[in-house]
Amino acid sequence: MSGSELPKLARVAHAGHCNRCLSALPSSHIQIDASRLAIGFYCFGTLDLLGSIYEKTKEIEREGWREWLWHQQTNRPYGTDPEEYSEYDTPHLIMTYTAILSLAILRDDFEQLDRNGIVRFLQACQREDGSFTSFPNGGESDLRQVYCAFAISSMLDDWSGVDVDRAVSFIQQCSSHEGGYGQQPTGEALGGTTYCALASLYLAPSVSDLHAPNPHVTTDERRRTIRWLLQNQASSGGFSGRTNKDADACYCFWCGASLHILGVGDLVDRTAFLSYLASCQFKFGGIGKAPEDRPDPYHTYLSLAALALFPLEDADPSWKLPRLNALWNTTEDTADWIRQHVPLYTVKAQSPVRK
Amino acid sequence: MHGVKRVQYSQAALEAKKQRDHDKLKAYLALSDDVIARKKSHDMSNEAFELTTRLLRMNPEFYTVWNYRRDMFIESLFPQRSPSEVNELLSDDLSLTFELLKQHPKVYGIWNHRRWCLEHIPDGPSPDDVNGYRNSTWNKELFVVEKMLDADARNFHAWNYRRYILATMPFPPPPKSELAYTTRKIEANFSNFSAWHQRSKVLTTLWETGELDRVKSIEEEFELVRNAMYTDPDDQSVWIYHAWLIGNGNYAARLQFEITSIQELLDEQPDSKWCMESLVRYKRLLIEKHAENLGDKKALVDSCLELLAKLRDIDPPRRRRYDEIAEGIRSGNEMQ
Repeated sequence: MSGSELPKLARVAHAGHCNRCLSALPSSHIQIDASRLAIGFYCFGTLDLLGSIYEKTKEIEREGWREWLWHQQTNRPYGTDPEEYSEYDTPHLIMTYTAILSLAILRDDFEQLDRNGIVRFLQACQREDGSFTSFPNGGESDLRQVYCAFAISSMLDDWSGVDVDRAVSFIQQCSSHEGGYGQQPTGEALGGTTYCALASLYLAPSVSDLHAPNPHVTTDERRRTIRWLLQNQASSGGFSGRTNKDADACYCFWCGASLHILGVGDLVDRTAFLSYLASCQFKFGGIGKAPEDRPDPYHTYLSLAALALFPLEDADPSWKLPRLNALWNTTEDTADWIRQHVPLYTVKAQSPVRK
Repeated sequence: MHGVKRVQYSQAALEAKKQRDHDKLKAYLALSDDVIARKKSHDMSNEAFELTTRLLRMNPEFYTVWNYRRDMFIESLFPQRSPSEVNELLSDDLSLTFELLKQHPKVYGIWNHRRWCLEHIPDGPSPDDVNGYRNSTWNKELFVVEKMLDADARNFHAWNYRRYILATMPFPPPPKSELAYTTRKIEANFSNFSAWHQRSKVLTTLWETGELDRVKSIEEEFELVRNAMYTDPDDQSVWIYHAWLIGNGNYAARLQFEITSIQELLDEQPDSKWCMESLVRYKRLLIEKHAENLGDKKALVDSCLELLAKLRDIDPPRRRRYDEIAEGIRSGNEMQ
């Protein structure tokens, strides 16, 4: 099947799905209540990729969302004493990452960003072994949190909150003999954590170029990781997240983006890839993990992000998506906004951005 | 979000469902607001504790509430209680989390809370037996994680937790018994890569401590994996394990032997992608690492190119990959 024979991308329907999710979710979704910021990000990210932020939402809504996001910024001192957190929600590393991305998508000026507080927060979350917990003094620690810490530091252009050497050492210990990276040392390789590992290693301050060999990835690790990732593409075109598991749309991003970061995106069978994701579209909008599955913002966003990384020349114009920054996982336009507004000092302004 | 199935409803049923949804949400939000308000005002009462139990049953992913619950243990429930009572409280929470895990086997917060409980078991029951409570509880953990793996043999949370238990429990069973566990899991299902993976970890430990002779053990493992290969040549897990056994390919005789063995299997199963892929992989290792001892390097190169051509046909998603490898071999470049 050639690209031109594929069904269209149902852009309007997918934007509708995420817009609805931004308003409300049913009781069956109670369990993601504590991750609202993440869900928000998947919805905003979808609208950003579809170029619908301004078309499909009103300024008053966007203002409301920005306000809601800023309301989640805690401003207690970050120390090791849990009693200092009397806000109902302790700050959470993954939510902090998604909040910054969401605010950038909504084109906030970041005047309210507590940069020093975030740096102290990162310091409080890093453990002896180099990994990061979701919040100081608790929560699980694995490569997801490391990635968020690296992404945040990179967006702030301030690495003083992270002991990079220790973190890199932890990442390298998560490397699996299969290729790829597990959640923790001794874990089997997973698509999601492989992305987190590689994105982190390429975001690290000593690494400037996506195309040059990375000092933190040995030739052997690179080789077997490429091999493992490529073997995860099923004949349906979708990627699975682990050896001997079924294809799932979200792994099209986690594995696809990993291959892109390693510079071998050309080895992905793009037509099959697109065909799989096309078949995961739900008829009333949204994209699910597999054909016939219920959609959700997470799979919708990640499918579109994956498609943005692997454009197909002869596909219908409905499939045309903006360029994606694979390391931060956002559009290049939003990435530009981040570069101009998130760090304390930017190239444009010679004095600090804050007045 | 993973694993939510679609269901069809009639109009009346839809209305009823809508109402139930609405009531459920209302109850949840009211409870959530109540608990959070109590947390904010530092309410450490028994009543607050019971409310967190109710809320966590509805939403075990609410990590803030797990934190609050742990704070209550430390600040109000543990102080003034005997070690036996503390142990009882923790046992109750271990039961609660086990119950929740059965319905929500992949929720980080629940697994995390279990670890916290285990790590807070007090000394006791007596000054002569300070580890009694700990031993008894930690020993039960292997049983718990085994149940979870019976339900889903690929649940990586459970496997990671299993490794944590074995590394941390006061009197772990000998590594050989864990080896036997992986054997059982593998024999139950060759596709269970998580079990093969665990096996590789356990064997590494046994070789390092000298409990098992590495050379002899590897021989046996090659036999085991050959058996699995012949039983199900399409199973990816087996081939990945085989590649782990081969390692960096420094042992030429072993490479040659395995190449011959896999070729025999390929002769019986001419369309086996994994046979072909592995043959290319191991022949490239021979070319790269043992060039000076090779009789006919050209024959090896030609053989690889022939296999790669076949792979292009039978494994189209990876066509570009095979082309790239072929190019590398032709130009004599190091393996990419």
